[in-house]
Amino acid sequence: MPYKTSELVDAVVIGTGAGGAPLLARLAKAGLSVVALEAGKNWNPMQDFPTDEKAQSKLFWNDERLSAGNDPLPFGSNNSGTGVGGSTLHYTAYTPRAQPDDLRIRTDFGVGEDWPIDFDQIAHYYDEVEQFLGVSGPANYPWGPARKRAYALGPLPINGAGQLMERGSKKIGIKTSPAANAALSAGYYQEGVGHRPGCANRGFCQAGCNIGAKASMDVTYIPLAVHYGAEIRPECFVTQLIKDASGKISEVVYMHNGQEERQRCRFVFLCAGTIETARLLLLNDLANSSGQVGRNVMAHPGLQIWGEFDEDIRPYKGIPGAIISEDMHRAADADFVGGYLLQSIGVMPVTYVSQMARGRGLWGQDLKQAASAYNHVAGINILGDCLPYAHNYMELSDEKDIRGLPKPRVYFSNGESEERMNAHANKVMREIWSAAGAKNVWAFPRNAHVIGTCRMGNDSNTAVVNADGQSFDIPNLYISDNSTFPSALSVNPALTIMALALRTADRFLDAYK
Amino acid sequence: MTIKYPVGTVRDLLTTDLVTEATRQALVKRLNTPPRQPTFFSTDEFTLLQAVCDRLVPQGETDQPIPVADGIDERLSGSETNGWRYDTMPTDGDAYKLGLKGIDESAQALFQQPFLSLTGGEQDQVLKAIQLMEAPGETWQTLPADRFFEELLAEAVENYYSHPIAQEEIGYVGMADTPTWKRVGLDQLEDREPRAVQINE
Ligand SMILES: Cc1cc2nc3c(=O)[nH]c(=O)nc-3n(C[C@H](O)[C@H](O)[C@H](O)COP(=O)(O)OP(=O)(O)OC[C@H]3O[C@@H](n4cnc5c(N)ncnc54)[C@H](O)[C@@H]3O)c2cc1C
Ligand code: SF4
Repeated sequence: MPYKTSELVDAVVIGTGAGGAPLLARLAKAGLSVVALEAGKNWNPMQDFPTDEKAQSKLFWNDERLSAGNDPLPFGSNNSGTGVGGSTLHYTAYTPRAQPDDLRIRTDFGVGEDWPIDFDQIAHYYDEVEQFLGVSGPANYPWGPARKRAYALGPLPINGAGQLMERGSKKIGIKTSPAANAALSAGYYQEGVGHRPGCANRGFCQAGCNIGAKASMDVTYIPLAVHYGAEIRPECFVTQLIKDASGKISEVVYMHNGQEERQRCRFVFLCAGTIETARLLLLNDLANSSGQVGRNVMAHPGLQIWGEFDEDIRPYKGIPGAIISEDMHRAADADFVGGYLLQSIGVMPVTYVSQMARGRGLWGQDLKQAASAYNHVAGINILGDCLPYAHNYMELSDEKDIRGLPKPRVYFSNGESEERMNAHANKVMREIWSAAGAKNVWAFPRNAHVIGTCRMGNDSNTAVVNADGQSFDIPNLYISDNSTFPSALSVNPALTIMALALRTADRFLDAYK
Repeated sequence: MTIKYPVGTVRDLLTTDLVTEATRQALVKRLNTPPRQPTFFSTDEFTLLQAVCDRLVPQGETDQPIPVADGIDERLSGSETNGWRYDTMPTDGDAYKLGLKGIDESAQALFQQPFLSLTGGEQDQVLKAIQLMEAPGETWQTLPADRFFEELLAEAVENYYSHPIAQEEIGYVGMADTPTWKRVGLDQLEDREPRAVQINE
């Protein structure tokens, strides 16, 4: 049942991605009146998600951002999504857990930041999220602390790229494992949704799954939230947070169908993702007594190594995220901070060829020839820790978007640690591919996943929110998304964002119920 | 290694229930879109852009040319972006207009003729010089030549390889996914996957 905008609801949640959706479900389940405002559309996967890359570019956040620095970050398809479900609509659904020492980078290396919480405070949330989403994974995952419960489902079938990564790694003594992936290897019953079907191996996870086998938020935490009475308002773009005399936020202003609307509320949960969360706060000059909003932008070193093989691989088949190795989590010969993981990657043709254009500068007959090998290519990529630096930040530019709001400008340059990590990984991945029999090997340097801008910490001078995600400046404002990570972690972020979202909700409910 | 696949594979699949209705609609529409009269570019600019795209993604002798430049004009006419741009670049539309002017300037400086009058090989020399930031011309004093080239190239190849006929060329049939893929390992093909017809060298 829809709430009225004049009604004082308990909470407004801004954004319905990995950080917003789990929290929304938790608050609704506790009996709170909650409204989610989501800038993007509410899609119908069967009708709206054709198996076609171009047709699915609508899932990306396509409002222009300005990319500056020595390693300008691509946004759009590379970094951010929109719609009910946020970026999880098009994530690859790799769901590794962080390891305990990921949260102690400063303690262990003397640089970067520690998290204000330790692993034990999120471990049981990892467990809960994995079971609820129906994560598929191996019976015995070789890295990190032992798990309390096995993964909900057995591993997904390993596609060609995965088999080749296993083959090459084995030859040179690197351990691999089927990855944990939030796509269902078998049908799964889910509270609030009913039965979801198993993955059809259609290799299309970097866009929307048309059968609901991939655990994006629109088929998991959002229906659960609705089941418990939450209201979702799609196509509502939040522009302002209004403070009352007591310094708390009393109203959220948003645009819907060209009209300005206002929702009164007791609490606000800002879950708009790294860039938009910081942008909203900067636009409204809020929660920034530390001066840290927009600072510490991080992005995982995400170097990819591609090779051509004699075998038929057909990179469009099978779950794109199949095989993982965390052997480089703390590599013995590391000359950089933290570590990285290795993942096999499947790829769709337009993405692949466009990377060849940008990464190798190929065109003309050279490009056509390299593209004709598409069915024989396989890739490995890394995701590694990234330090927060003063030179990496976002600001509001002078240029305006279609709503008349300043576009964000994001500065990013890899530091020495990230460069060294990439060099190390370049060598390791080339060794794997060479052992697997690759030809025409090439590297695509990139950074993936934007993180930071509203870091959490214990000190209000250096952090934007506390360990519970609560703003130091505005007590009824919470942040739950990629922006609060104090360090980047050496794993894909979504599972940790969801686990933290549940923790934030529980800490909030403990404090205010 | 040159790999060739039979023609017509994707077009044949589009008539079957191996693709979802949504997929069919998206691809058939792309296949059947008539050539475009430019609304963002002038006729001259558009002709030049088409010639440049032909060098970047050569098409050979196909029965149905793939409209690469059309997609660029359509996007710019609708003021759509891909979500980001290099901070050192002007807006996409300005970058394209300036860059096209720059291409002709470089052609004049190198060969004393407009780009359209050059042979294919000469056109490639102009483009290569731009990619390497070695091209003469006033425009490249203000517009970063390498970034312009990268953006143009990426968009051209994305438009080209989104087209069903280009996908036939590289043996991609990922759109035929309704029955689920059961044979996903190395060298495991389903009946509906095209086999390479000729591998030489
Ligand atoms: C191609 C790709 C593959 C990926 N693969 C993986 C993977 O395998 N594993 C993994 O862990 N992670 C992966 N990620 C990253 C992961 O998807 C993100 O880290 C995660 O979804 C971020 O969660 P979030 O809650 O911070 O933001 P999002 O999920 O992006 O959600 C933010 C939401 O807020 C909305 N919003 C923004 N501004 C406003 C506003 N003003 N008003 C209203 N709503 C607003 C947006 O529309 C969006 O829906 C991938 C990302 C990409 C791009
Ligand atoms: S590979 Fe599986 S989970 Fe991914 S989009 Fe396809 S069916 Fe969905």
